[in-house]
Amino acid sequence: MAAIYKEFAIIPHFFIASSITFILCNVGIHFLHTKNEMELKHALCFAALVWIFSMLLAAIPFWLSGATGSYLDANFDAMSGFTTTGLTLVRGIDHLSHSINFYRHYLQFVGGMGIIVVSLVILARSEISSVLAFKGEARDLGIRPNIVRTSRVILGIALTFMVLGAAFFAVVGISEGANIGNSIFDGVNYSMAAYSTGGFAPHSQSILFYHSTLYEIVALIIFLIGSFNFTFHYAVLSGKRREIFKNIEIRTMFITLTLSTLIISGILLFSNVYPSGSILFRKAFFQAASAHTTTGFGTIYPSQIANTWPSAALFIMSIIMVLGACANSTGGGIKAIRVGIIAKSFFREIKKALSPKSAVVTEKFHHIEDTPLTETIARGALLIAFGYIFLFALGTTVTTLYGYNMTNSMYETASAVGNVGLSSGITSPAMPALLKVLYIFLMWAGRLEIIAVLVLIGFTILGIRKGIKK
Amino acid sequence: MSLKICVIVAILLILIVPLARAESGKALIENSASFDGKTVTFTGEVIGVFTRGDYAWVNILDNEVAIGVLCRAEDARKVTVIGDYRHVGDTVEAIGTFHMADPQQGGDLDIRADNFTVVAVGQELSRSPSLPLVTFSVVLMIVAIFVAFFLRHIRKEKERIVSWPFH
Repeated sequence: MAAIYKEFAIIPHFFIASSITFILCNVGIHFLHTKNEMELKHALCFAALVWIFSMLLAAIPFWLSGATGSYLDANFDAMSGFTTTGLTLVRGIDHLSHSINFYRHYLQFVGGMGIIVVSLVILARSEISSVLAFKGEARDLGIRPNIVRTSRVILGIALTFMVLGAAFFAVVGISEGANIGNSIFDGVNYSMAAYSTGGFAPHSQSILFYHSTLYEIVALIIFLIGSFNFTFHYAVLSGKRREIFKNIEIRTMFITLTLSTLIISGILLFSNVYPSGSILFRKAFFQAASAHTTTGFGTIYPSQIANTWPSAALFIMSIIMVLGACANSTGGGIKAIRVGIIAKSFFREIKKALSPKSAVVTEKFHHIEDTPLTETIARGALLIAFGYIFLFALGTTVTTLYGYNMTNSMYETASAVGNVGLSSGITSPAMPALLKVLYIFLMWAGRLEIIAVLVLIGFTILGIRKGIKK
Repeated sequence: MSLKICVIVAILLILIVPLARAESGKALIENSASFDGKTVTFTGEVIGVFTRGDYAWVNILDNEVAIGVLCRAEDARKVTVIGDYRHVGDTVEAIGTFHMADPQQGGDLDIRADNFTVVAVGQELSRSPSLPLVTFSVVLMIVAIFVAFFLRHIRKEKERIVSWPFH
């Protein structure tokens, strides 16, 4: 990309980053290679570490090109890119080179599918370790019997939607008065960010740059598609159209998105923020959909939303950001399937309480196929949900301790934990360094659904203990 | 008659312009509710122009905050340089009504400019590669290739040694 746009000053930055990566990978393969079979705990640690090392290496071009003020800021943006969050500390987005801008969006596209998924397609290795690493990255798909084929299907689906999205964005851009070259470049970037529910944008005004309703609609369609489960995509594309109405995730997301949009619209209506009902609904729906699908595109400026929207609306937005999109999608958060399972378990308990003692109350849910709702499944969903709530509470507490107000802290933390990218204005190059580190951790833990991170922490503590004993 | 009208318009412009204080983009967005419907002066660098019939959207950047300004297409045509990686865009001054949620533009925050002037013409930026960085990147690439071949050679040697049982 740097060569195409004749950005010769940027080329050395990418060469340096890729050379360092190449050296470290070769040294790693040589010294850390083992013939022992990988176990699940190793796979979880491996997945967690892959994301950390990827961040450290991907940050180099940001730092060298001066896009960020420090290496820490560069790491923040690299993690935000890989985790498809969209919070950014990049300075002067409107004057960024094409290559660095493309690179930001490309990171989101790769991160949306999963670093290990992309690696599996390239390396084409289908052994047990690959299957475990795949699961370690919070992916649990059975689209095809072979893990490499499954990865290829994911990549194929993603590329198809990305290309279609880019074409639509480009056509709309040209029709709205932008020049052809910029429309195509922006189209590709917006499409990558939208499909990966990333939220980065090639301009500081995000979607507002084009001042176009049509551009908003294209973005909305692409990020809604991106927020759906890859298995769901495959099922629908294979002809199982009824899945659209029966799938627990789609039903859950439809209910939560509708409810949240109505509540937010109601709050905004009473606070007289917008001049008409249609404008109010349009703003509320776009922000709610962007938050719920964990995309992070905004049609309202961050500090404007923090200053004009009532706290109650921001609170609802924080909740839907934590609830998140569908499992095995490019989105983050607790995930709709878990929310659906928790809700069904809740209603089952009520049914149990109301039924006679001799009655056996059972519940099932539909996700590609009917599955009985067992105690183990419900417990697993609750465990992950509690993990997210813990991270949300931790982030909010620390951000508040830095002097930011409670509502904005909740909003920003929910955005980081849920890998959303909407901001209340807290995320900026001037924010405290420790808060940047905390948000990097929150984005990372949120993307890997906490378990991999907890296993890595446990593994490290055990290793240190063993070392001390020896 | 027409002279009288011109004089009145000129007097009105003289009266209105000083009333509109130049505001920063940050101040406008952070206090959008209090500026809503008021006449403001906004100065900054042009980073995007979209001409749509008789009017045009001009995105003006002021210290990391960009705001869309709706102006006449003929005014937008005065812009010669648009800011990007290679250019500092024209500096323009827009005087107009600030809208926190413009009812005619889908509720977007904007300024509808009555007066739009190019204050300074933009310029091209030189972005030449840094020689030490180019040298370092070339050296690092050579090192990376050397390390890869060297480690591959060691691995192959090890495999060769293991494959002979009497070793």
